[in-house]
Amino acid sequence: MVLKLTGSLLVTCSCGALGLWKAAQWKEHLKMMEQLKKMVLMLKREILYGHTPLGEAFGQVGRRTEGVLGELFRGTEERIGRGQGELFAVIWQEEVENRKKDMFLSDREIRELCAFGEHLGYLDLEMQEHTIALYLEQLDMSIGFYREHEREQSRLYTSLGIMGGLFLSIMMC
Amino acid sequence: MDRKDEIIRIFAKEIRRILEQSDADFNEVQEIRLRAEAPLLLICRDREYGVTPAGILKEEIRGVHMVTREEIRETMEYISRYSLYAFEEELRRGFITVQGGHRVGLAGKTVAEDENIRTMKYISFINVRLSHQVLGCGDSVMPYIWEDGQVLHSLIISPPGCGKTTLLRDLIRQLSTGSRGRRGVTVGVVDERSELGACYQGVPQNDLGIRTDVLDCCPKARGMMMLIRTMSPQVIAVDEAGSRQDLEAMEYVMSCGCKLMATVHGSDLEDLRRKPVLQDMIQRKMFERYIVLGRRDRPGWVDQILDSGGRRLYGPERMAYGA
Repeated sequence: MVLKLTGSLLVTCSCGALGLWKAAQWKEHLKMMEQLKKMVLMLKREILYGHTPLGEAFGQVGRRTEGVLGELFRGTEERIGRGQGELFAVIWQEEVENRKKDMFLSDREIRELCAFGEHLGYLDLEMQEHTIALYLEQLDMSIGFYREHEREQSRLYTSLGIMGGLFLSIMMC
Repeated sequence: MDRKDEIIRIFAKEIRRILEQSDADFNEVQEIRLRAEAPLLLICRDREYGVTPAGILKEEIRGVHMVTREEIRETMEYISRYSLYAFEEELRRGFITVQGGHRVGLAGKTVAEDENIRTMKYISFINVRLSHQVLGCGDSVMPYIWEDGQVLHSLIISPPGCGKTTLLRDLIRQLSTGSRGRRGVTVGVVDERSELGACYQGVPQNDLGIRTDVLDCCPKARGMMMLIRTMSPQVIAVDEAGSRQDLEAMEYVMSCGCKLMATVHGSDLEDLRRKPVLQDMIQRKMFERYIVLGRRDRPGWVDQILDSGGRRLYGPERMAYGA
C-alpha cells in the first residue's frame, strides 16, 4: 500500500512538473520573442540612423545581448568579416539553422527569421526600413498571440499535468 | 592578411578565383577594371593586361575573361559588405574606400534630383585603384619646408597625376612623426576625398604619422574651421584646394597662427597667378614655399622649389623621388 501510494505520489508530481515545465516553456518562448524584437529594434536604429553596415550593426547589437540570440548576431558579424564570398542571405540562414535547436521558436518563426535576412542589405535605406518593419509586424503578431494566451496556457499545462498525473495514479491503483 | 588577399576578397567568386591564380605582382598592380560584358583588365606598371580565366595576363584581349553583370552585382555586395545603404554618400560621390585604403570608383546610372546626384543604380563599371604609399618620397623636400624649427606655409603645385597627393601624404607623415632630428608637430588633415588617409571605418589606412587627426570625407572649407576650433593643430593639410571657399578658409588658417600645407592643380607659379583668389594670396606672399611638380619620365618629379617671392631655391635633378 505504501509502495502504491509512493508510486502514485511520484507519478502525480512528475506529471505536474511536466505541466509546469511546459508552462515555463511558453513563457520562455514569449521572453525570447520579446528579446528578438528588442534586438531588431536596436538593429533598426543602427541601420537607419547610424547608417552602420550590416556586419558592424549585427556585432553591436549582439555584444549587448546575452544568450543564443546574442550568439546568432555575433556569429553573423564574424561570418561577414571573414569575407569568403557568400551571399548574406546564405550566411544568415546557416547561422539561424545552426542555432535553431537552442531557440524556443516554432518552425514558422524560424522560417520568418530566415526570410528576414533574405532582403536585408539590399538596395537603399528605405528598403531596409520596409524589411525591418515587415519583420517587426510578424514579431508583434506572434508576441501578441503568446501574451494573449499566456495565462490560460500556463493554467492549462499545469492543471493538465497534475490531473493527468492523478488520472494515471488512479488507473495504476 | 597579405595585400593580394586583402584586394581579391572584394571581388565576385569567379573573379576572385581568376585573380588568385594570376601571377601578377599585386605590389605593382595599379588598377583592376571591371565592366559589364567586357574583358577583365588589370593595369600593372602603366601597362594594360587582360586576364584569362586561367589567370594569365595577356596584352591582347582575345581569350580574356568577360565580366558578367552578375559578377559586378556580386562584387558590389562584397565591396559594400552587404550594405549598399550605408554607402549612399559614397555612391553620390562615385567611390568607396575599402580596407587597405584602396579606392573603388563606380559608374552606372545616376539618379539626379535638381542639380544634385541622389544615388547611383545599375552600377556596371568598377575601377579598383590600389593604394600605393611612397614612404620617404618627401625626404628631399622636407629641408625646404622647415626653417628655424618652424614649418613654412607651403603650396604644392602640380598637374593631375603627377604625385602631389603622394608627396603631401609623406610630408604629413614626416611632419607628424618627426624626422631627421625635427620634432613632430600636431597635424590636422581635412581629407575630403579620403585620398590622403584612405580611412576605413574612421581609421587611416595610410601612415599619416602619430600626431595626425583626420577629418574624413569633410568639405575642406568647413573642415579647416572645425579643426582649428576643436583639435588645435599646428599644421593643417588639405589636398586639391580650388574653390573660393577653400582658399578663403586657407587664408583664415594662415592668419590663425596655424601652418598650412596644401596642393593645387596647376603647371607652375605663373599658372596660379592667373587664378583670382590665389593671385592675391601670391601677391601678398602668404605662401613661404611653392613646390612645383612636373611629369618627366615618371610621376613625382619635383621641378622647382620656390620661396615666397618666386625665387628658385632648388633645381630638378636632385629632387626626384620614386626611383
